[in-house]
Amino acid sequence: MQSVAERGTLTAPRPAVRGTGKHGVMAFSSILKKVAMALTGLGMFLFLIGHLAGNLLLLKGPDSFNGYAAFLAKIPLVVPVEIGLLLLALLHIASAVSVTLGNWTARPQRYAVKRTAGSSTFASRTMWIGGLVLAVFIPLHVWMFKYGDHHGPQELYGLVMRSFQNPLIAFGYAFAMIPLGLHLSHGFASAFQTLGINRPRLRPRLRAAGAVLGWLIALGFLVLPFWGFFGQ
Amino acid sequence: MDLTLKVWRQAGPKEKGRLVTYEAKGIPEDASFLEMLDIVNSRLEAQGEEPIAFDHDCREGICGSCGCMINGRPHGPGQGITTCQLYMRKFHHGDTIVIEPFRARAFPVVKDLVVARSAFDKIIQAGGFISVNTGSAPEANTIPVPKPNAEAAMDAAACIGCGACVATCKNASAVLFVSAKISHLALLPQGEPERERRALAMVAAMDAAGFGHCSNEGECEAECPKGISLVNIARLNREHLRATVRK
Repeated sequence: MQSVAERGTLTAPRPAVRGTGKHGVMAFSSILKKVAMALTGLGMFLFLIGHLAGNLLLLKGPDSFNGYAAFLAKIPLVVPVEIGLLLLALLHIASAVSVTLGNWTARPQRYAVKRTAGSSTFASRTMWIGGLVLAVFIPLHVWMFKYGDHHGPQELYGLVMRSFQNPLIAFGYAFAMIPLGLHLSHGFASAFQTLGINRPRLRPRLRAAGAVLGWLIALGFLVLPFWGFFGQ
Repeated sequence: MDLTLKVWRQAGPKEKGRLVTYEAKGIPEDASFLEMLDIVNSRLEAQGEEPIAFDHDCREGICGSCGCMINGRPHGPGQGITTCQLYMRKFHHGDTIVIEPFRARAFPVVKDLVVARSAFDKIIQAGGFISVNTGSAPEANTIPVPKPNAEAAMDAAACIGCGACVATCKNASAVLFVSAKISHLALLPQGEPERERRALAMVAAMDAAGFGHCSNEGECEAECPKGISLVNIARLNREHLRATVRK
């Protein structure tokens, strides 16, 4: 029998952390896929805070909101930020699809009876559903308000308010904010855990911060269609 | 107490399995769950039937051999116990108990309630060891280890590799197990020489075995008979990231 010293440090084949996976695509380790999802998710989380802060100017009236839109249109940073957000979203979706498909194939035979120990939440169990709703909602949302029928940033307030007069748009928008709140409330703390930022004392705080921030953002956005539909 | 058991019976790895109902009458409340299965098996044998196959060894909760899904939970109701430490007094007269093997692509059924957990062995082989100098053992106190690190390493080392974490995870993920093994060695100076290659090799072995990913739900931690904490998974992620960056 070989001693450990004779074998050297590690006889196992050097791990193929990067390389060509069995599906012919670049394969990253399971943890790196989750890290990609966490970083892109946190990036979009930060964007949502800024996006909400700007959109709440709707409540202040046309001058404030259109002024804000005109200000954004003037900054040369907008296009790079938009491209960055698109890349974040695509990378988030790509890693999510890869991770979720892997998860679905990891247990081919289901249990006849399965109970939870009470640690998972409705939010954590519905991440992929929320992601799917948002993947449909966000392109529609961008198409409607960015490329919608308006004449420059001076008229954006009118476009948004007219759109929210349509009950289908107002309630569709409002409905999509529920999966958003669920998605963010689990995703925030989960991202920190994935990035390795967790300690026993930090954990309940991260969970609480995720739930509070996630639902505050969702409720903030939820106010807008209701205000547009009922408020005028 | 009289019980109705619905037990997964599967003759072999390639055979089709199904839940079979057995009446288990007159089971003593003080019997352990495995002793209850022993009683049922001796009756099955007396009737000339094939006894229910299940894994077990020490029967005192420290070896990690036993384990099955009992009414949808690994090691059954209760916390901090393995299947052998589960007693029938936790159940009531007249209860129906559904008993299934741990299920995961990486844990194929061998027979009835016995699953192959060799995937865990492959993960350990990939990096769950340290280099030591040959010769006489060094004096134990020559390597200083901070007390908190020793405590955290010992907590992680409590993992017995039973597979309950994989069994309960909705993704059949093995990260709690891998994180315990990584943490146990990463926290100690003895684990330092292979630290980075271990964090890459064990994760690669885990991925190759076909386990799912971590959704950070914490069901594994809640079901772990040894109370391995999710904080270990955060450490595994840090170790793997660090190793990837420094590779």
